[in-house]
Amino acid sequence: MSFIEVNNLSKAYRISKRKSGIPGMVANLIAPKYERKEAVRDISFSIEKGEMVGFVGPNGAGKSTTIKMLSGILYPDSGSIKVGEFVPYKQRKKYVGNIGVVFGQKSQLQWDLPVEDSFELLKAIYSIPDDVYRKNVDRFTEMLDMSGFINQPVRQLSLGQRMRADIASSLLHSPEIVFFDEPTIGVDVVGKEAIRKFIRELNREDKVTMIFTTHDMQDIEKTCNRLVVINDGTLIYDGELNGIRSLNGEARLLDVFFSEDTAVAPIKNVQIIDIDNRHRQFVFDGQKVMINDLMSELLKKYNVKDINIAEPDIESIIRKIYNREKVLA
Amino acid sequence: MRITPYVAYAKKNFLGRSAYRVDHFLGILSTCLQFFIFYEIYRALYGDAETIDGITMSMVTTNFIISMGLGMVFRPNDFFLPGKIWDGSISTELLRPISFKGRMIAENVGDSAFNLIFKFIPVFLIAFFTTGIHSPAGIFNVALFIISAVLGYGVLWSISFAVQMTAFWLINIWSIVTIKNVFINVLSGSMIPLWFMPEWIGGVLKYTPFSSIYFTPVQIYLGQLGTAEIVYKCFIQIVWIVMIYLIGDFLWNKGQKKLIVQGG
Repeated sequence: MSFIEVNNLSKAYRISKRKSGIPGMVANLIAPKYERKEAVRDISFSIEKGEMVGFVGPNGAGKSTTIKMLSGILYPDSGSIKVGEFVPYKQRKKYVGNIGVVFGQKSQLQWDLPVEDSFELLKAIYSIPDDVYRKNVDRFTEMLDMSGFINQPVRQLSLGQRMRADIASSLLHSPEIVFFDEPTIGVDVVGKEAIRKFIRELNREDKVTMIFTTHDMQDIEKTCNRLVVINDGTLIYDGELNGIRSLNGEARLLDVFFSEDTAVAPIKNVQIIDIDNRHRQFVFDGQKVMINDLMSELLKKYNVKDINIAEPDIESIIRKIYNREKVLA
Repeated sequence: MRITPYVAYAKKNFLGRSAYRVDHFLGILSTCLQFFIFYEIYRALYGDAETIDGITMSMVTTNFIISMGLGMVFRPNDFFLPGKIWDGSISTELLRPISFKGRMIAENVGDSAFNLIFKFIPVFLIAFFTTGIHSPAGIFNVALFIISAVLGYGVLWSISFAVQMTAFWLINIWSIVTIKNVFINVLSGSMIPLWFMPEWIGGVLKYTPFSSIYFTPVQIYLGQLGTAEIVYKCFIQIVWIVMIYLIGDFLWNKGQKKLIVQGG
């Protein structure tokens, strides 16, 4: 029995389908039309204590819906969720005391109050003992470098500062599981790195189970060891981060620099990515295309300055998945 | 049930209410204006008459000041849940390990405590010294008045609670709230004292919760009811609170399953 068990989870929404403009508005008032959208279909997975799992998928794939069901906000239509001893949506009040959730797009802090006052309110809500509270505030203030703005009202913080305060606020009660819903959205490169470092440390030191959703593959590559890909409400990959590379067959990438502007003719079974006129990438399945053949063909036809052989990065694989290209062939 | 979080919420609202000073003073002014407008209208209607239908002008004045004053104190935030559903922040609210209903009550109590001290008392004093308001029928009546006013608050709150729950389905409930408030204003006696309602309306009103909100406390204050009647009327108030709350609670349980989190 794993720490988090999800079986055959499904959830559908009814969304109103409305044509734009005045005729559409009138039609909508008289006879509204609805469409059923299956946000999550028949998803099953399990997660062990202390794991760091990244959920990726395009917008509207069902990631957030899954997270919201896992955190007890939404009821599933069918299927079951068990986290530790709890069924989140049935025992919400008891369950949410053990979890923390960070929404990158929604602050949980009190807009008009200084950060520390928001923390005080959370202390009361979660009944955090004084010593634990003090220890956590001091620790997070240092780790997230918050001492400069902890007494400022939230509305005066920059996005990066607010995000750090938000992350700290969702961890004050020492939760067993933390859900991060796009935690680095809109944060600059340095800020992102600081947040990732903090998350890694916390996982290592406190053995907190962490579940991410993000669009930034760097977030996942730098923090998670397991990847779950959701598209169109279904789970299409669940496994090691590196394992996804083999989904594409034996995916290979040839990074080629030409010594002059070059137009490349299409090559069978090879996907050509134009970086610029002198720099192109060739992606292919090593079992279908022999790398020697391709290289000699390129060298024969064009003026090549440099060639690198690489495995394609995860982002380009995910991009292929998003574009609904066949990956499980 | 742990009490600290709810006290924290009540305190937060109590302290937060003083943030908007101008609004606060204008609130007192608007209640005074409303009161004096109705006061003058009824003074003109009474003219030289001592009583109309056995009701004296000072009883009418007392009815207005108590029902308008309590209305100003109670004022549940009808858009508490709808606002959170509308902008999607309901999701963060549900992540707190506390009862959402308990929190709604706590925040409302914080607001009401503030209103009682900083709004009701000044308005009451202004009215007391400028008009001929009745003094309470006795100390016993004051105690019972406070009990039945608290119960009246319960009735008003549970109506607001049940109405708010429709937001799970309708999202925008401005019109429903407006209709609810029109019913309360007209039928609770805060605009037309219920003594003057035609008999058939009075008959219908018996079967609605509206007269339980302000009019029962007013009648107790004025000493119009005997002990048995007071007990009966307070019992009716409790029945309304329980009935309407249960309807709201039923919708709350259903609604959570229907919940849509707007805005991703």
